[in-house]
Amino acid sequence: MLKYVNVNIDGAIIHAIKGTSVLDTAIEYGICIPHLCHVPYLSDLGACRLCIVEHMVNGHSNVTTSCTLNVEEGMVIMTNTDKIRKLRRNLAELLVAQAPNSRAIQDIALRCGVREVRYPFRNEDCVLCGRCVRVCTEVWKARAIGFVGRGKNRHVDYPFGVRPEFCKQCGSCIQLCPMTITPCDGPMKPGEERLCGQCESQLMIADQTPGSCVWCKLGEGFGCGRYV
Amino acid sequence: MSRLNSFRELEHLREGLRERLEKYTTTVMLCGGPGCHAARSQAVIDAIRKELSAQRLTSEVRLLVTGCHGFCEEGPLMVIEPGNLFYHRISPDDAFEIVSQTLVKGKVIERLLYTDPISCKKIQTEAEIPFYRLQDRELLSQNRRVDSCSIEDYIAAGGYTALAKVLQSIAPLEAIKEIKASGLRGRGGGGFPTGRKWGECQEAPSDEKYVICNADEGDPGAYMDRGVLEGNPHLVLEGMMIGAWAVGARKGYVYVRHEYPIAVKHTRIAVEQAREFGLLGNNILGSSFSFDVDIARGGGAFVCGESTALMASVEGKVGEPRPKDVHTVVDGLYHKPTTLNNVETWANIPGIILNGSSWFASKGTQGSKGTKILALTGRIKNTGLVEVVMGTPIRTVVFDIGGGAVNGKQIKAVQIGGPSGGCLPVDKFDLPIDFDILSEAGSMVGSGGMVVMDEESCMIDVTKYFLTFLQDESCGKCLPCRVGVDRMLEIITDITEGRGKPEQLDLLEELADTVSQTALCGLGKTAPNPVLTTLRYFRPEYEAHINEKKCPAGVCKALITYWIDPDKCTGCKVCLQVCTYGAITGRKKQVHVIDTQLCQKCGICRSECKFDAIRVI
Repeated sequence: MLKYVNVNIDGAIIHAIKGTSVLDTAIEYGICIPHLCHVPYLSDLGACRLCIVEHMVNGHSNVTTSCTLNVEEGMVIMTNTDKIRKLRRNLAELLVAQAPNSRAIQDIALRCGVREVRYPFRNEDCVLCGRCVRVCTEVWKARAIGFVGRGKNRHVDYPFGVRPEFCKQCGSCIQLCPMTITPCDGPMKPGEERLCGQCESQLMIADQTPGSCVWCKLGEGFGCGRYV
Repeated sequence: MSRLNSFRELEHLREGLRERLEKYTTTVMLCGGPGCHAARSQAVIDAIRKELSAQRLTSEVRLLVTGCHGFCEEGPLMVIEPGNLFYHRISPDDAFEIVSQTLVKGKVIERLLYTDPISCKKIQTEAEIPFYRLQDRELLSQNRRVDSCSIEDYIAAGGYTALAKVLQSIAPLEAIKEIKASGLRGRGGGGFPTGRKWGECQEAPSDEKYVICNADEGDPGAYMDRGVLEGNPHLVLEGMMIGAWAVGARKGYVYVRHEYPIAVKHTRIAVEQAREFGLLGNNILGSSFSFDVDIARGGGAFVCGESTALMASVEGKVGEPRPKDVHTVVDGLYHKPTTLNNVETWANIPGIILNGSSWFASKGTQGSKGTKILALTGRIKNTGLVEVVMGTPIRTVVFDIGGGAVNGKQIKAVQIGGPSGGCLPVDKFDLPIDFDILSEAGSMVGSGGMVVMDEESCMIDVTKYFLTFLQDESCGKCLPCRVGVDRMLEIITDITEGRGKPEQLDLLEELADTVSQTALCGLGKTAPNPVLTTLRYFRPEYEAHINEKKCPAGVCKALITYWIDPDKCTGCKVCLQVCTYGAITGRKKQVHVIDTQLCQKCGICRSECKFDAIRVI
């Protein structure tokens, strides 16, 4: 039998299933917490840090990722404070400066309020969200790809760089990859990267009701958990 | 040696060992710690041993090869008891003289005595040396009393008394209460109250619990855990046993980095000896307590010093941290409650149990009790391991114990707590070594590494060094640490290479703040500390780099030029000969000139010039 707990998210008391994460609960109840590396049917890594929230413990606020935080009775969570919005925007700015050539990342940067990028663009192909690694490991139990290296050298690769037999080329990794769809204007050449910002109209409703999910088209772009 | 099956057998053994040691008239304590080892102490040890047997003194003189004494700058070190005679910088050639003069005739060899740098007088005893006099060497002094590889020595010196006391008369909850009352806080970096950690772990319901000793010390320039674990591994083991008894664990791990081969070896020997003596295993000393320890070796990842990454590494997984919304005292190693403490924390436990919590709490400040070992390194006269009472001002440590800067330079800053700590300027040197006060100042006690910098260190360059280290050592799992630190490094590199813009400082500050709040683990959260503290205390230096394109300390190569002062140059041609790039031209007895196009700014000419004619502008 399912057990329920009461959590307070942005002032709303939510009757949530015990064992679920704060992020899943919030999305389920229509509270918007932008996220990238979270996929509802996979384990959570806490890599992109976009889904940060303020967790109030004894009057003290802890900034933590909502995907890795499980709901507990009496929990007080704030998803949309000024502090969180600013931190989230800075993270999204780092992300889009790293990989501007992805519609998902452009969309999420826009959703998180990035209006200018203060770092030189790098045209990288992977943001290490780990969706591919987790779907391969957890859904297909193939473990054909994994993280290799540490720090700046970390990348996703086959074991020893060779495609193993147990990779059946099912394509799940590609399907979940946020980098596979280029921005609407087509691929950006090195040196011509920019912040796309074409879907800004999508934000009009969201701006008036910040923190509520308005089923924006942007969410579809970055594979928001609500669309799955 | 047969197993010890009761407390009485332990006491009996101790008495026997003490009797055996009393037969020796003299004890020669030679330091075999890492600093002295690097100064070839092994050759000295061999020479002395050979000389002792040649002069047939082995039955009267006890040669004790110990762990680190602390005064690494002056190694190899030797202390002769009775008399507390202190010799420094011994070479293997001195062995004959030491044995035949000092040990046989009782004469002091003047040339091996330490000279006080201020009064220029020779000092005979170790206790009188200013470096030692101002310290409170609660843990480090125990290093000197025992042979690191001998459980007999440790037992004879009173070892495992605390364990026997706990097993005989103190219930687990009382032990935790005692530790809580002592006010001991974690020595590894965070400063979390140890008693509270134990209490939470004890309360966590589980059939199995673990204790772990974190000896994965990776901060540049820090080696206090190494000093303790290499010198006195049984002390750490005893602390772990008491901890295991208190929280209800039956299994412990010592996670020691592979780069510390002597520490690995000594810990392994200690564990084997303890098993042999029945101090590890089932029914320790005839009680109901069973406990065993295994050694896990770290592969050299800085991030594995973080508790969750360390536990993943012990489990055989990739050493990456995981979110700690549920603490490791509830969900730790193999998802069981786990108490993880640093080497120094464990080493403090037996003392607290033996002498009582009030003894420990009588030392230190309001929030930080006891003593702390610091690794004093950098541009300072007396480098080495220093142990001071908490609350000692930084000034005392740097100037009185450390002896001030080398070559009469001005000290500018000190980096406390390794790469995650912060740089404090000289006007903050009155701050005490205290967990809370240093964190308020933006730095932290951390593990206790202290790197002293003088006027020739550029703070931006220092920050760049630490960021490069952190970027290399980041596990790469979360975005703020992997990309954020990289971007900070990018901005700092821009500044040091003369491409800095004023608005980059605000961006740097904002980014540092973002990383410190959003990173996944403790290492990521503290990674921006070098940037934040240098921005706070050395902003004019940043501004000089950006606005005037000048490096005040003369370090950042893109912003400096070497110039020969015509008034001082004598035309000796030395600089001309040492310059490998052919950038200096001039004739004999005529003023030389540096071609700035060819000059690679290596600084060799400057260090070779005897007339101080070459300057950095």
